[in-house]
Amino acid sequence: MDAILNRNNFARFQSLIALFLLCLGLSILSDKFLSVSNLWNVMRQISANICISTGMTLIVLTAGIDLSVGSVLALCGAITAGLLKNGIEVPANNLYIGFTILGAILAGVLTGSFLGAFNGWAITRFKVPPFVATLAMLTVARGFTMLWTGGFPISGLGDTFLYFGTGWLLGIPVPVWISVLVVGIAVFVTNKTRIGRYIYAIGGNESASRLSGINVDRVKIIVYTIAGGLAAVGGIMVTSRLDSAQPNAGMSYELDSIAAVVIGGTSLSGGRGSIMGTVQGAIIIGVLNNGLVLLNVSPFWQQVVKGLVILLAVIIDKSNSKNE
Amino acid sequence: MSKIMPPTAKRNNMRKPLRYLVFLLLVAVLAYNSVYFKKLDEVKAGSASFNAVKYASDFWNTKLIPTLNKAVEINSLLSLLKTDKEKAFKDHSHALGIGNIRYFLIKGSGVVTDVAENQVSVQIEGVAPDINIATEYIFGNAVRDASGAIDINAFSNSMDFNNVSAEINKIIREKVVPPFKSNVKKGDHVDFTGAIELNREHLQTNNLEVIPVNLKITNP
Repeated sequence: MDAILNRNNFARFQSLIALFLLCLGLSILSDKFLSVSNLWNVMRQISANICISTGMTLIVLTAGIDLSVGSVLALCGAITAGLLKNGIEVPANNLYIGFTILGAILAGVLTGSFLGAFNGWAITRFKVPPFVATLAMLTVARGFTMLWTGGFPISGLGDTFLYFGTGWLLGIPVPVWISVLVVGIAVFVTNKTRIGRYIYAIGGNESASRLSGINVDRVKIIVYTIAGGLAAVGGIMVTSRLDSAQPNAGMSYELDSIAAVVIGGTSLSGGRGSIMGTVQGAIIIGVLNNGLVLLNVSPFWQQVVKGLVILLAVIIDKSNSKNE
Repeated sequence: MSKIMPPTAKRNNMRKPLRYLVFLLLVAVLAYNSVYFKKLDEVKAGSASFNAVKYASDFWNTKLIPTLNKAVEINSLLSLLKTDKEKAFKDHSHALGIGNIRYFLIKGSGVVTDVAENQVSVQIEGVAPDINIATEYIFGNAVRDASGAIDINAFSNSMDFNNVSAEINKIIREKVVPPFKSNVKKGDHVDFTGAIELNREHLQTNNLEVIPVNLKITNP
């Protein structure tokens, strides 16, 4: 019993305990919270954040940060929607290049991966702090989104495309399947592969990793590329769910994903954390958002509550680090 | 002198081109299933651009005007809102989005109590305070959405959909309001049909503004 209640075990299960208490409180305060439709709705909504946060976890594990994921999400969603709906016109050659759903999705994911790779390249090649490099990308990607969309939403993307955001497969929403697949691969990569071990090693001690022969720059570029690609996947899911690519989509998504990572117990100084912890963090953020809406809390207060929860999570994380 | 290679290195060297070949094949298959090419002029000929002016005009004449007889009397709506808010919203309101803002197509008649630059105030028997008929600032989606006769899925993008609203409001500004505004005076008896917006969660019926669709001065 003592072992269960000791400090280390509490630290390990703190996000699960927080999630349980949150669900318990909300189910008492709102009779709608525990309804099946509401729970599926929460899962559908957090699926995009889970994808983005999975990429963010890999970055934070290397002691980095990516502030551009929200803008990358918007740009990739817009590119996918734009190519699917309008294709590319080449008037000089009287040519129209149309894109199938597969082509549009691939283009979106490749764009996200490219932007992520560019982030990684800028960070490793020019030693720009990740915070600054990705902050710059946040603005650049948002600007490209405005240019691509002309400031207007791109809607009416067809029923087949909507399936990715609103469809059901074997009684479970399709976005949930996608996020489960993403999480499954990420868990395998971090726990069972060489690059997974490198990611933890770099976050733990970058200099030691470099001296032990790990190509730190290469691993970092790969990690940022993956995160960009996953932001794109999130963007495609959001675009599909809304049947519309909004130019201002993904605003403050970076904060939600960082919050999910931190609440899930991943250390912002790198080297410590897990994908499953982040999943728990994303669920907590999603449940919290949903609960505050169900309880008719003003959107302004929702921001305050979310901020305080993140602050609390960081304080607990610091306290755990000290004790270790 | 030939270089002696361990068997695993030899196998790896043989596998490398195979790996590239598989990769190239995969890229080719993906690319083949991702894009298609057409002549631009054929595509353009096949997709005529959306004409919001025509759509709004057709909507006005064939869908909106025929539904005006379904508009609910403002007196009975306000009474129902007091006694059974949910039923009032369920039976008489329309909205195309989710949320608490809903639109009602209403009708009524009363006596003009004030003619201001932006609105005409009308006193309706049994309704207090006066209702304001907008005559200057005709904006928003109230008329488009209140009829319930428009289908958002018929539009390929939200810009076209919003342009329809703008064109409907233009019809009101140019055709409905001017003949009324130039003749109406305090004390006139008027009949009106139009759209109002109400918030289901924070219901406020004290300062109703009607976006007019049909206005008549009916002095005896």
